[in-house]
Amino acid sequence: MPLDEPTALERLINGILPENPVYRQLLGMCPTLAVTGAMMPAMTMAAATAFVLLSANIIVSLIRGLLKPHLRILVFTLTIATFVTIADRALAAYMYQMSKTLGPYVPLIIVNCLIISRCEICASKQSVGVAIADGVGMSLGFALALGSIASIREILGSGTWFGLHLFSYAYTVAENILGWVTTILGMGTLGLPDIHWQNWGIMVLPPGAFLTLGLLLGAVEWFGQRRRRAGE
Amino acid sequence: METLIVLIQIGVSAALINNFVLYYFVGVCPFLGVSRRVDTAFGMGCAVTFVISIAALLSWIFTYYILRPGAPLPTQVWTALGGSPSVTVDLSVLSYIMYIFVIAASVQFVEMYVRKFFPPLYKSFGVFLPLITTNCAILFACLIIMKNLQDPSQLWGLHHAMTMAIGGGVGFTLAITLMAGIREELDMCDVPKPLAGPGIALITAGILAMAFMGFAGVERGIENAIAMLLK
Amino acid sequence: MSDATAKTGYIRQAWLVIFLALAYGGALAGVQTTLGPRIEENKRQETYSVIPALVEGADKSQTVEKTITGKDGKPQTVFLARDSQGTPRGWVVPATGQGFADRIDVLIGLDLDVSTITGLYVLDQKETPGLGNLIQDPAFQDRFIGKRTSEPVQVVKDDPAAGSNAVKALTGATISSESVATIVNSALKNLKEPIREL
Repeated sequence: MPLDEPTALERLINGILPENPVYRQLLGMCPTLAVTGAMMPAMTMAAATAFVLLSANIIVSLIRGLLKPHLRILVFTLTIATFVTIADRALAAYMYQMSKTLGPYVPLIIVNCLIISRCEICASKQSVGVAIADGVGMSLGFALALGSIASIREILGSGTWFGLHLFSYAYTVAENILGWVTTILGMGTLGLPDIHWQNWGIMVLPPGAFLTLGLLLGAVEWFGQRRRRAGE
Repeated sequence: METLIVLIQIGVSAALINNFVLYYFVGVCPFLGVSRRVDTAFGMGCAVTFVISIAALLSWIFTYYILRPGAPLPTQVWTALGGSPSVTVDLSVLSYIMYIFVIAASVQFVEMYVRKFFPPLYKSFGVFLPLITTNCAILFACLIIMKNLQDPSQLWGLHHAMTMAIGGGVGFTLAITLMAGIREELDMCDVPKPLAGPGIALITAGILAMAFMGFAGVERGIENAIAMLLK
Repeated sequence: MSDATAKTGYIRQAWLVIFLALAYGGALAGVQTTLGPRIEENKRQETYSVIPALVEGADKSQTVEKTITGKDGKPQTVFLARDSQGTPRGWVVPATGQGFADRIDVLIGLDLDVSTITGLYVLDQKETPGLGNLIQDPAFQDRFIGKRTSEPVQVVKDDPAAGSNAVKALTGATISSESVATIVNSALKNLKEPIREL
């Protein structure tokens, strides 16, 4: 094996931030925009993608000696399509409501450029161990990307996170603390003003997805540019 | 007449209201990658429309006759081999693999056709054509066809599928060309450095998506207008 | 010479693809046989679990599926809801139609002689979040309880007069509300007589 190919550990760490599939490589945009309305669907999609990526990487790495240039893309696609079907059926069997929410986006994992590109760049050339590390790294990076976008969209758009109403809880806690403090200080009754979180409906709708991803991309770029300038 | 109304609804819905890129988020990769100049964007849109139509035609035929639950061909094979006729033969688990082959074949076919009959066109964006294989929009069209061939009491005919596919392609072309026009203007503007490239493109797409949201409810308006015209 | 090796190379390649295709096909067939029944059950439970809420006293395990032909000539599945002793209590009719954004799927609960609506449940919708998608809220769905099937259900902006066959629309979601009413009305018009004949 040539000495300048990344090791398993390098592959693993690369996938999380430096070569993050969404923020750096701009791959897998379709699910990133579609399922990030809330954390639960986003994490389910990240898990499904991780399953397909790891399985495809393992199989392709195992048969990498047999692959010839002409038909290898076909082999990759066949493998990926099979595992996506398995993931889709498993979701429909065990998480039926979630599979209805995710809808057509689970089969669209097949054309997620991320998986084919990992098969091409890493799994078809390196051993199973490295392929697994690469798959794990990229999956973590993908989950991180999806999670960051979904958190923003869900909190601003519905006031919840994973379905928990954050602002109501915070408000209740604040009210309780205020009540406790005023009782101890003997200040009589004081109440918090009647404020509620107004959902930013746009966040749950398509434009919100585009805007959030665009702004987050800008933020990641900005940090990267600052770090590069500091390093110079 | 009712069929015509349904077809118009399907077409307008796929092109404008539920625009493939701006509502369903499919085809975003080429949308961001190829929308720098209006002529390449328009060419890409036409190529995608062409491929989607062929892929829709093939996948409708395969799904209707082979892949859907209770499809005629496998059922005939099953009963010919002595299977019980009360069992619904369901090959739909092979759908995704079949669609991938259909799409790859469609792209091959379109590539050959363009290379033979429009050589200068092929030279200018021949490299994009294989990329269309991984274009989510085409697989998405196949998935819509599959979804509408599941319920035996409400099956989509070939005309429904083709209208949806062509409508989707037209919508994609519209979105990508609009985007290219905007990005050509943006090239001359002072975009903040971190946002240059994909960042500002996505924000623009977001505003464009907001604009397209204004089309919601249009198909009911069309339905009412046609109903009034017919009175 | 190189031609022959290229050809054997292709043939060897083809063997790989064919072998993989068969292996994957077998794996998928296995997945289908194991998970298929579970998925079917999930789909059925989705409807069945709502039936007790739509028809009073119904036991979901006692539900009977029937297929009828509507006035439009198309076959339609309806559900006869029975209590735990097997006595029929009412009907549940699935219906679908175009909403504001996309299709809306509903389940309509009816009494035994199909004269009153006993419940409404929205299974699937893709209306505007925060506005139209509130049609899935019981607060909206319960407005249909008690409405007669002898005339179409109307949708009005203010509180309906007592005894009228009207429901109040959702604020800011008139079209979604009207779509639901239209779906209910057309389903009833299409299936009322055929169900009564059962």
